[in-house]
Amino acid sequence: MFNFNKPRHQLSNDYSDGLRLNDLKPGEIGRVLEIGGSEQFRLRLIEMGLTKDTEVCVDKFAPLRDPMELIVRGYHLSIRGQDAQKIAVERIN
Amino acid sequence: MRYNIAIAGNPNCGKTTIFNALTGARQHVGNWPGVTVERKSGKYTQAEHKFDVIDLPGTYSLAAFSAEETIARQYLINDKPDVVVNIVDASNLERNLFLTTQLIELGRPMVIVLNMMDMATEKGLEIDADTLATLLGAPVIPVVGRSGAGIDLLKEKILRVARELSLKSRPIDITYPRDIEAELEQVSALLTASGDENRLVRWTSVKLLESDKQTRDEVRALKGGEAILEQTARSIEHIERLFKDVGRAVISHARYGFIQGALRECVVETLPDAVDYSRRVDRLLTNRWLGLPIFALFMWLMFKVTFDLGSIPMGWIDSGVVFLMNVISAALPQSMFASLLVDGAIGGVGAIAVFLPNIFMLFFIIAILEDTGYMARVAFIMDRIMHNIGLHGKAFIPMIMGFGCNVPAIMGTRILESRRDRILTVLINPFMSCSARLPVYVLVAGAFFPENAATVIFSMYILGIVAAIGSGKLFSKTILKGMSKPFVLELPPYQRPTLRSLVLHTWERGFLFIQKMGTVILVGSVLIWALGYFPTQVDLERDYSAERAQVNQVYDQDLSDLTAKFKSSVQASKSVYHSEMVEYKASSGYQELNDQYQTLRTSLSEAHTNQLYSLRQQEVGDITEQKWIGRIGKVFEPIVAPLGFSWRESVALITGFVAKEIVVSTFGVLFGVGANVDEGNLGVISGLRSSGMTPLAALSFLVFTLLYTPCLATVAAIKRETGTWSYTLFSIGYSLGLAYLLAFGVQYFGGIFNWLS
Ligand SMILES: Nc1nc2c(ncn2[C@@H]2O[C@H](COP(=O)(O)OP(=O)(O)OP(=O)(O)O)[C@@H](O)[C@H]2O)c(=O)[nH]1
Repeated sequence: MFNFNKPRHQLSNDYSDGLRLNDLKPGEIGRVLEIGGSEQFRLRLIEMGLTKDTEVCVDKFAPLRDPMELIVRGYHLSIRGQDAQKIAVERIN
Repeated sequence: MRYNIAIAGNPNCGKTTIFNALTGARQHVGNWPGVTVERKSGKYTQAEHKFDVIDLPGTYSLAAFSAEETIARQYLINDKPDVVVNIVDASNLERNLFLTTQLIELGRPMVIVLNMMDMATEKGLEIDADTLATLLGAPVIPVVGRSGAGIDLLKEKILRVARELSLKSRPIDITYPRDIEAELEQVSALLTASGDENRLVRWTSVKLLESDKQTRDEVRALKGGEAILEQTARSIEHIERLFKDVGRAVISHARYGFIQGALRECVVETLPDAVDYSRRVDRLLTNRWLGLPIFALFMWLMFKVTFDLGSIPMGWIDSGVVFLMNVISAALPQSMFASLLVDGAIGGVGAIAVFLPNIFMLFFIIAILEDTGYMARVAFIMDRIMHNIGLHGKAFIPMIMGFGCNVPAIMGTRILESRRDRILTVLINPFMSCSARLPVYVLVAGAFFPENAATVIFSMYILGIVAAIGSGKLFSKTILKGMSKPFVLELPPYQRPTLRSLVLHTWERGFLFIQKMGTVILVGSVLIWALGYFPTQVDLERDYSAERAQVNQVYDQDLSDLTAKFKSSVQASKSVYHSEMVEYKASSGYQELNDQYQTLRTSLSEAHTNQLYSLRQQEVGDITEQKWIGRIGKVFEPIVAPLGFSWRESVALITGFVAKEIVVSTFGVLFGVGANVDEGNLGVISGLRSSGMTPLAALSFLVFTLLYTPCLATVAAIKRETGTWSYTLFSIGYSLGLAYLLAFGVQYFGGIFNWLS
């Protein structure tokens, strides 16, 4: 029987030890390569516009360092560092 | 004709604003069946056609992950509204149109509303609405919901689209990459062959490739369903091999691709370096160093304004209630009914009505925080801390609201997405010390710790927070194990709030409290009145009227003795120097004697009044002890004795279960000064002091008051929001247990270490 549910998505080997979204500093822009983590988390991010190849600017970190604020597709979005760690990016500036 | 229209859109895109602009004041707020998601409906008439409008919950997608998404989707599919009005935020088009691409596939006639055009213009976005309309296959109307610009045109368009219903204007399809289209075709062909006339073939095939569970379950029930699902599985595998990702991700990615393509054709950015004021403000308000102090300052201001400004109309309401009680008791003859009306209903509800200004003030400030967009920043700033208890930063908002009143705060947990988060927040919310507990603190702390009342009261608030955090940690490690939803929060731009929206929000929440007064509190007050009124005949051991007569007799005797003594002294001193009475009365000798006499007389009469008063207090106490309420208190006395409480405190706590404020009026009744007391009442304070309560017992009484179930209305709200009796009963049991444990701790350790003695 085909399994329709994919509970977790492992980052592919190409990115598994590369740069992550939470490694970027405020003001830096990254391009999304792949998003890992639970199915629900991935889809929520994708719905919010954080799809593959999207450019993301890290705007700032909260006063207690977590969560972080991003600018995606012209609006502001906030996610936690532990989740940003599941997003492989390449720095583009 | 009568048409159904549904308003759909992302959270915060201005749905409610447009809904209000369309329907005016004629609206009804309720719940969707079975779930605690608000359901707003209203109507309006346009050119003799009637429109029933429903405001669907704000969602980012129709994936049916959350209750809101499921509701919106079910409504659109099953109820088939005549027109779907899709509100999109023109200043944030790309993300907003993602939902639109899904709505298009549902195939209902649509009108797309470009709201917040003012903000888009400010950002320098020029949007070609006609081209966008062609690309999306539905009329696009630019409006400014806030000022109402464009609403008339929108109404006209809705009417036109509704009437053209019969023309079957077929909207466009979102086109996907060729490989996906090929798979969609295969699934669609099988679906069409299954012969289900009513099925939206395109929508269903897309959802199948997105591995949508609900759609799969529906298809399985169709004729040839299994074959369709087999094809689906093959298609998904094929797509995953090609695109190296799951079908859902690939399709969502394609939707964004479609949107980007469309926007390239109809949006021009004229001000590439327009100043983003909102971002500048945010630089300060969520600043690394200043963010938290500014937040603390706002919280402090919120309390200051709530309680200082709120206390002004409090006095008016209080005098109003007293006036009403006096008028009615003067107009009605002494009877059970008069007592029920005056002491039970008006007195009980009136004691709580005085908190209305505080509560409305608090809700007004919360509305300001929400409408300006600062609430989202509260979640942003506080997430680190709330995450510790296993909660989302947004959960901080109902926690603050709990300081005002737990009932709307518990209702406010609806802003949280996952059921687990909601239940956890509901369970710890009652520990946030609501404003109804304040009068109890003021009374008891004022009576026993007049020097340090403020410190004692403040520590109650802190203890409440500690109890909430501790319990939150405990629950998230035990009964509510599991992950909280991923934190994905939009931070909308800051906005200047409109008065209309502030008033509306304040009223909606405040009204819930008024409802509570009219129902639970009214019934509770009458019940407590009845427990204190019956049985009407009581046998007292002491004969109070005889004792009173005795006191009066002694007083009369003392007074005449004193007067006789005075007279004889006057006679004696007069005969020494003066022959005439008139002459003598002007002398200093007489003055002195007279002053002495007057002083003694006054103190005698004061002592007499006090004696009568304390006799009266004892009598009322004795009578109450015989009433049902006292008997119940007696039953619980042995249980609460280890906490240092007598039957009086146990009665007060029992009545406090109905509403905490009632604790104060219960003490009023118990000490014979009537139910309508305020916190500074000297009779109650002296009564409390002379009742044998120790300062230590007073402290444990405060702790108990803070921690046990706040009121019946809160219980009702918990039941409503958790949906089960088991969590409701658990909440009552847990908070009673914790209250008992900590109050006992205070009494026990206080005794050992000799605190407060
Ligand atoms: N500048 C501007 N602000 C608007 C406009 N329409 C609505 N707003 C503001 O946008 C904010 C959100 O509006 P709501 O109507 O509450 O949005 P909603 O979509 O119902 O939000 P949820 O109830 O959270 O789903 C409010 O502060 C409104 O005052 C507009 O046309 N221009």
